[in-house]
Amino acid sequence: MYMALVSTGVFLNSHAAEIDSSTEAFLEIPRPAEFHVEITERDGPVFANSNGKTLYKWPLHKLRNGYSGEPPGTPMCYDEVVTVTAGFMSPYPPGIKLPEPEERLSCTELWPPVLAKDNAEEIGKWTVVERRDGSKQWAYDEQPLYTSVRDHFAGDVIGGSTKRYGGDSPAYRVPIGPPSQLPPGFAVRTTTVGRMLTSDKNESIYEFEGDTAAIINCIDACLNNWRPVVAPALARAQGEWDLLERSPGVRQWVYRGKPLYTHILDTKSWSQQGSDVPGWTNVFTQQAPSFPQSFTVQSSIAGDVLADVNGRTIYVYRCGEDSIDQLACDHPEDTQIYRLAMCGAGNPAKCLQHWPYLIAGANETSVNRSWRIITIDPKTGRLTSNEGEDSLRVWSYRDRPVYLFGGDSRPGDVNGGGTGEWRGQRNGLKAFWLRDDFMNGIL
Amino acid sequence: MSRLAYLTISVVLTFSSTAISVIADESILRDGKIGYVMTDLFWSVYQTPGGSEECPRGYNDGPREQFEKLFPAHEYLTVEETQLKQEIATWHPNTDPEEFEFFEVEGELSWGLNLDGEVDPNDFVHPDGSIGIDNEVYRAVGCIIGFRGPDGVEYIFQNKAIIDRVYNRMMIQLADVDSLENDESVTVNWFRGMDRLLTDATGQKAMSGGTQRIDRRWGESLIRQSTGKIEDGILTTDPIDELVIPWMNLSVPSVHIFRDARLQLNLSSEQATGLLAGYADVDTWYYQLIRNDSTHHLSNGQISGISLYKALRRLADAYPDADLGHNTAISTALDIKMTQVYVVDPLEENSE
Repeated sequence: MYMALVSTGVFLNSHAAEIDSSTEAFLEIPRPAEFHVEITERDGPVFANSNGKTLYKWPLHKLRNGYSGEPPGTPMCYDEVVTVTAGFMSPYPPGIKLPEPEERLSCTELWPPVLAKDNAEEIGKWTVVERRDGSKQWAYDEQPLYTSVRDHFAGDVIGGSTKRYGGDSPAYRVPIGPPSQLPPGFAVRTTTVGRMLTSDKNESIYEFEGDTAAIINCIDACLNNWRPVVAPALARAQGEWDLLERSPGVRQWVYRGKPLYTHILDTKSWSQQGSDVPGWTNVFTQQAPSFPQSFTVQSSIAGDVLADVNGRTIYVYRCGEDSIDQLACDHPEDTQIYRLAMCGAGNPAKCLQHWPYLIAGANETSVNRSWRIITIDPKTGRLTSNEGEDSLRVWSYRDRPVYLFGGDSRPGDVNGGGTGEWRGQRNGLKAFWLRDDFMNGIL
Repeated sequence: MSRLAYLTISVVLTFSSTAISVIADESILRDGKIGYVMTDLFWSVYQTPGGSEECPRGYNDGPREQFEKLFPAHEYLTVEETQLKQEIATWHPNTDPEEFEFFEVEGELSWGLNLDGEVDPNDFVHPDGSIGIDNEVYRAVGCIIGFRGPDGVEYIFQNKAIIDRVYNRMMIQLADVDSLENDESVTVNWFRGMDRLLTDATGQKAMSGGTQRIDRRWGESLIRQSTGKIEDGILTTDPIDELVIPWMNLSVPSVHIFRDARLQLNLSSEQATGLLAGYADVDTWYYQLIRNDSTHHLSNGQISGISLYKALRRLADAYPDADLGHNTAISTALDIKMTQVYVVDPLEENSE
């Protein structure tokens, strides 16, 4: 028998200790031989091509004045340089000339399509669609697939993200991956603190340090605030998932050797409120990549934010053009026209005053693929290979520099959040939230 | 039923009802305390039909109208010359003259309080005849339709956020209260609550009798205390040097800062309604607005951030900064409604 009852009414999980809990397990599904799965630092398992490049889709996204992205089965990204605005985002009209026309790249120069051979065989959700020139392109779940020129190493997800994005955000490219290995009734969400395990109703899932797979200590009064996640009668253990019978006929889900609960007092989805109770923590299938040791976490009136060594809040810049192809403008290799406008009214010197880069310490080194030190020419905002007096070694998150705000004076100040177009979602800055009880900042 | 019997029963019921009401008013006090949580908050805008008295020259243009006038042939221009030029002017505002005439309120009447105790030529008169009313925010926003009720975009959505967003859940707890009718000295504590409001089935009408836990996790820096008095059911508080009101409209945590903040509230056992008045920090006021509302949202209320900032700075009437050479705060008043709640302090609960 796979599970054995003991006298305390608990199942033993004999293989829990053997499981690698640092990354997220996924379901193997049929796929073409040329693709495989890469485990990424932040976005969980993703599909990649034979060069290790992450595969992305560009799903339809409703904007203020229409839709952008690709309808199922219909490639919309071509080798054409877009030169005027689309007017997707009011109040500005369409037809305005986009910046730096000589340097502009086409959609496919930034997002090469994943082409399929003529004899490619469709399998499962993997199909082949035809581009305008007759060439074949791989699609997954009917969405045409691309790679990103911003990704350089296997497991990079620099071009896009599985993080949730709102209605006024650009139509982002989204990495595709295999389904997470989850029983029905669970979901996983990419957040700034990790791949958060929730119910399919977005209730946070918690574990208690006093529990083990063999001993339950949340009983009696504990159950006033914590609700065991109960498994249906036909549920079966699989992989990292087990079941225990906490009372006759009532089975509770166990993940990586810990019985699971929801917190009755949580007031919002994806909550971390339960983690304030000693001994209780949110459950993640995969932790977020570690940030540099010199960074700190500060409390604000809206939650916890990531901060520098002096407690000053760290911000990330986001930018997407109002163009038909919704190209990003938040990477140092993208046009800097938008960022310079927002941070310093077009003046790089003012930008350094209002939104200084977070300078890396002389002895600091890159931590991982997510938190890297890059070298920037502050006059242009571009990457540079010259590590001289005129350049800055700055911290970057996903290859984009991170910033401090000149208007923050005390630890926990978040006075710069929401600066820029569309509350900082399209050409502006957002605070790096690690805990929020009031919005969806970690998502 | 005879007429006599009917009258007898009616009298008894009437007296009983009165007695119950009196008892209810007093019994709502627990250890001399009563709490009220904020449910409505509007910038006080005195309005006549069509703005005929206060805005005789009409309402101000917003970003959409200004863009069309500035760039009639935008298709020949670049993003830098048009859209980004306007966004730069919004996010890096200045007091330079502009080509658009800004319509300030021209009427004499305004809601608000006499904040400085003086009567100046540019003060308003209260509709009840009181003079010396300080409310320069009204002078700036009164002819912008987004701030006017009942359908201005700020009027609707900033207030809706007060009910919807726990982040904005400010409340007061009166202590040392002997009577809600008259009390020479009461203590007024400001806290942020951390719970949803008790509402009716629509979810929009707050009901009295709910419970709010004090936010000791994130809201300690918002706690304030002042004193006040109750006369004929009206609470008047002494000024608080710096009251911070969290006000998040569209998911951007932000605040307003009021210097010399005070309340004038009509109290009952179920609600407290009246005014919150003081001097708003100009830059905080402006950036709270534009960080929450993009140019699109401002356009829906014909709110030009570029023009409004110039007006706010021009009309700022308090807290001069010698280094900057200008006033940093502007007089204002907000219509405020609060409903009675039972305030629970987690610190006291945990210590029991």
